Amino acid sequence: MKVLKTLVMAGLVGLMALTGATVAASEGEKQKVVYHVNGDNPKQQAGALRNIQNHINAVGKDNLDLRVVMHGNGVSMVLLPEHLKNVKGFKAANADPQMQARIDGLKDQGVAFKVCANTLNGRKVSRENDLYMVEESDIVTSGVAELAILQGQGFSYIKP
Amino acid sequence: MRSEDDLELNAYIDGELSPDQQAELLESMRSDPELARHASELGQLKAQLRLAYADPPKPQRQGVAKVGASWRAIAASFLLLGLGLVSGWVLHANAPGLGIQGDRFVVLDPAGRGQAPAITEEGETRIVFHLTNPDQTLAGELLDDVESMLAAYESDGRPLRIEVVGHSEGLSLLRERLSQHKERIHQLAGQYTNLTFVACQNTINRLKVERGIEVKLVPDAEVIDSGVSHVVKRQKEGWSYIRV
Repeated sequence: MKVLKTLVMAGLVGLMALTGATVAASEGEKQKVVYHVNGDNPKQQAGALRNIQNHINAVGKDNLDLRVVMHGNGVSMVLLPEHLKNVKGFKAANADPQMQARIDGLKDQGVAFKVCANTLNGRKVSRENDLYMVEESDIVTSGVAELAILQGQGFSYIKP
Repeated sequence: MRSEDDLELNAYIDGELSPDQQAELLESMRSDPELARHASELGQLKAQLRLAYADPPKPQRQGVAKVGASWRAIAASFLLLGLGLVSGWVLHANAPGLGIQGDRFVVLDPAGRGQAPAITEEGETRIVFHLTNPDQTLAGELLDDVESMLAAYESDGRPLRIEVVGHSEGLSLLRERLSQHKERIHQLAGQYTNLTFVACQNTINRLKVERGIEVKLVPDAEVIDSGVSHVVKRQKEGWSYIRV
């Protein structure tokens, strides 16, 4: 009798666990999100960074795997203003001290900023010289491919 | 779900723990409200089950086969339900294509061009680009991205499917009069059968009603009833989504 009751309990608890498994961010697992930035309006970019900070505040930096993928005009977010003349195709370079500080603050909280290689090559941008603190490991071959790959890995996609 | 805790909680509720073990568990519950809540849920569940499946009074009729509410039958049916759910979940997780059998790509085009199957192959990368911006420079960059992906995947021999859905102002790319990339669209559509350009019928209707515009689409555009519901459908089918 007790064995049966335990079995029934186990079955029911198993069912509850299954429904729990459908929730994207289950206990102990990080919530995975990728933010897509491809516009060059500095207000919009600052807004996106603000969204990200709010997101971190809501979920907790230890519970998040949050990445930013910049491609096309979005690379302007890390483009140094004095270097706008060195590159092609950009109408804005928004990595002024304020934007730099915002980016640093988010990096300190574990946010990764990825940059599209196709954009850099196409627009003659030098990673070492023209961009703010972008390491080799931050370069992805193709911004859009990276967005697709991450979604395939279970990342949620947000375009602010 | 922590299974050791569940077994221990069950034992606690059944009064099978020693006094020391009970004290320890109560201490854990005091510092872990989640555990306490779980314990009280199990307790309630046990009480409800006991109430629901208490032995019914014996029926008076004769000659009727007795199918009483036996514990074994209930337990078996729950286990069967559990098994069904588990196997369904496992199958669902392992075979994403199964869910969309027969869910055809709606083509309202009277000429009946292109019956792009919505059924996925193993390991196929599927991306839906959602274009809502009229800017033709941005559209050109989108085509750059799309073309480079198609070429790269083709040379690697990896299966890829791309849809470019134009809705709202993004429909401009697919309009004869406004698109600055007609040649390119035609060339790409001809070269890659795994690429589809999709126009939103709702947008077309709205342009007619609100501005009296008779939209003429580029010849390579397929038509879907609703752009937004199509991109949602694709996401639910496991496509990656990129908003341009």
